[in-house]
Amino acid sequence: MNSRSRYVWAYVMIAPTLLGTVLFWSWPAVYSIYLSFLKSENFGLVNHWVGFANYEKLFKDHEFWRNLRNTLYYTVLFVPLTLVLSTFFAVLLNAKIRGLSAYRVIFFLPQVTMPAAAAMVWVVLFARDYGLINYVLGTHVAWISDAKFAMYALVIVGVWGAIGFNMLLILAGLQGIPRALYEAAEIDGAVRFRKFRYITLPLLTPTLFFTSVVLMIGATQIFDSIYLLIGKTNVALPAVRSLVYAYYQNAFVYYDQNYGAAIVDVLLVINLVLTGLQFAFQKKWVNYD
Amino acid sequence: MVIRKKTWVSAMSLTVVAAMALAGCGSNDSNNGSSASASGSTGASASSSASAGKASDAPKKDVTLTYAIWDQLQQPAMEAIAKEFTAQNPNIKVNVEVIPWDQYWTKMSAAAPAGTLPDVFWMHSGQFVKYASGNFLEPITDKVQAGEIDMNNYAANLGSIYVFNGQNYAIPKDFDTIGLAYNKEMFDQAGIPYPDDTWDYAKLAQVAKQLSQPDKGIYGFAAKMDTQGGYWNDMLANGGYIVSEDGTKSGYDDPASIEALKARYQMILDKSSPSHQQMTDTDSTEMFKSGKIAMIFEGDWRTTDIDGSDIIKGKWNWAKLPKGKVKRGDIINGLGNVMSASGKHKDEAWQFLKFLGSQKAAEITAQMGAAIPAYKDTQAAWVQSKPDLNLQVFIDQAADATPYPAGSKAYPVWFPKESEIMAQAWGGNISIEEGAKQVAAMMNQAIADNK
Repeated sequence: MNSRSRYVWAYVMIAPTLLGTVLFWSWPAVYSIYLSFLKSENFGLVNHWVGFANYEKLFKDHEFWRNLRNTLYYTVLFVPLTLVLSTFFAVLLNAKIRGLSAYRVIFFLPQVTMPAAAAMVWVVLFARDYGLINYVLGTHVAWISDAKFAMYALVIVGVWGAIGFNMLLILAGLQGIPRALYEAAEIDGAVRFRKFRYITLPLLTPTLFFTSVVLMIGATQIFDSIYLLIGKTNVALPAVRSLVYAYYQNAFVYYDQNYGAAIVDVLLVINLVLTGLQFAFQKKWVNYD
Repeated sequence: MVIRKKTWVSAMSLTVVAAMALAGCGSNDSNNGSSASASGSTGASASSSASAGKASDAPKKDVTLTYAIWDQLQQPAMEAIAKEFTAQNPNIKVNVEVIPWDQYWTKMSAAAPAGTLPDVFWMHSGQFVKYASGNFLEPITDKVQAGEIDMNNYAANLGSIYVFNGQNYAIPKDFDTIGLAYNKEMFDQAGIPYPDDTWDYAKLAQVAKQLSQPDKGIYGFAAKMDTQGGYWNDMLANGGYIVSEDGTKSGYDDPASIEALKARYQMILDKSSPSHQQMTDTDSTEMFKSGKIAMIFEGDWRTTDIDGSDIIKGKWNWAKLPKGKVKRGDIINGLGNVMSASGKHKDEAWQFLKFLGSQKAAEITAQMGAAIPAYKDTQAAWVQSKPDLNLQVFIDQAADATPYPAGSKAYPVWFPKESEIMAQAWGGNISIEEGAKQVAAMMNQAIADNK
């Protein structure tokens, strides 16, 4: 095969994904920026250009700042916790123990469970009066309708759902570390923790970097667990309402797509900045051999 | 090692592909399956039973219509009507599609500009103006004038709800009012007579207190944060209002409205009702169904649902709402069937729409206990559909009930925001008065923005 036909063949192979990405991800993202400068009527069939009016309204809206704070707070709790726990379980499941695949399946199960179904189970677990969590802890906490606890409930559900997949990514990273390095370390007399600290962790940093970027972007877009667990008549909603939840409310419930578009465009900028920062700082801690 | 990694990756991708394939197949299968079996059975029975006149008609093109509804409890009745219609019109199949209320209008608002609204679908008075003013609904005025359908056939002037700029858009489907459901067993045990016509709100609060045993998780009343099935009735009974008659002003900050809201909330403070948080965790009607609550306001449409609970079946009944300072407040609402202006099969859709407005469809609705049919003089069959329950209260209360306060472009804007603000008041973060005033300000703003 000459190099030209190899290129053509390669593009043919990625075409379905590329087309899907452009049509269903890139184009809506660009269109949402356009929408945020309009005032639409009649379900978007009549549009007026209003410039930055939607953004002006947004930055004066106290609710927006609170939603932004909630979103960042969730991200700050969720990302490190998921990373640490996923790494922990990945290291455990990288060992040679009996029933290894069974454990891997168990930890991966949340990933293949329908979020809506899982949320229903969590609602029951979190219930104040008859919930299993309060029963086991001996507490009487309204986990999902008390503003003090609702955020932690969301983080618990989020981390529970995220460990499986991220553990898998990290496991793949772990298995890419050459066995010879550990053997050399053993000859030098390194113990378990030192092997983890000086071999595993440094060689895992590319995977951890990738995982943290993806996790962060995902975390700032939290919506479904708020929608399913908290719900719109919940008194704790203002304490956990995220930007994407506010977007959904504005765009699809109050029929103000333009204001909603402004909200997600701000989120887009935030994510670009945060990801940019992560890439800028990766030199400090990520090892590519 | 390399091989293991590959195995994992391929296992993962297999899982994803399989999941997608399963999801895709699943939905396709069910669609094909149901329409295929429907055409098989009804086609056969229809051709054998069709009248001679029908059979002589030229063969018509097979058409499948979509009929979207939001109430799963009414699905069996709607499917029975669709089946009856197909029996009379063998070339037209109808797919009844249930979209839950929470997503129904989200989906419709996306479908409207895309031109993909269902051929025929349920319309709510609150959403009607938005769709009619956008020309997304097919006007049926000429059909009404041509005498194809007679709007006088429908009770309580229900047809007038769905008139916009002098055009008719909907055929009334049903109406609904609110009643007081009570648990007979709990009244018997306490030796208290059942609620009746003489009850007022003071009596309700007093009995609710007597029947409550908060330490056992049993309450006399569910003072839920709810509009149509909740405090709107209280506000009206107390002489307050929801929206002024000319539609220009919110009634939430009216002193009589605030007093009514406070009185309802007081029942939570008195521990005559579960707290808002408890009712967020568990729907209050579900609590009533499991015998934890003695009395609750609910719409007639929940009858089948409540009666389906084994715990409470045979041990409950309906009464009229209590009287307030001024009158007996009750919200009446009527659903309409409408057809899309951009449907591909408008002639067939009209045939089906007309059938939905027929006496036959009303009788099926009534007999199956799905809803109070709008068609005149078919309500008795609905009342008889559950003889052990006093369903007559819903018909009696319709006479002097207040129409659901919709019918404006502002309604879809303020209605969802209302519950978010009131949740803060009901949850104790702000006072009831503060919540009511915030709602009033928000509603007045929405009315001003959506003239």
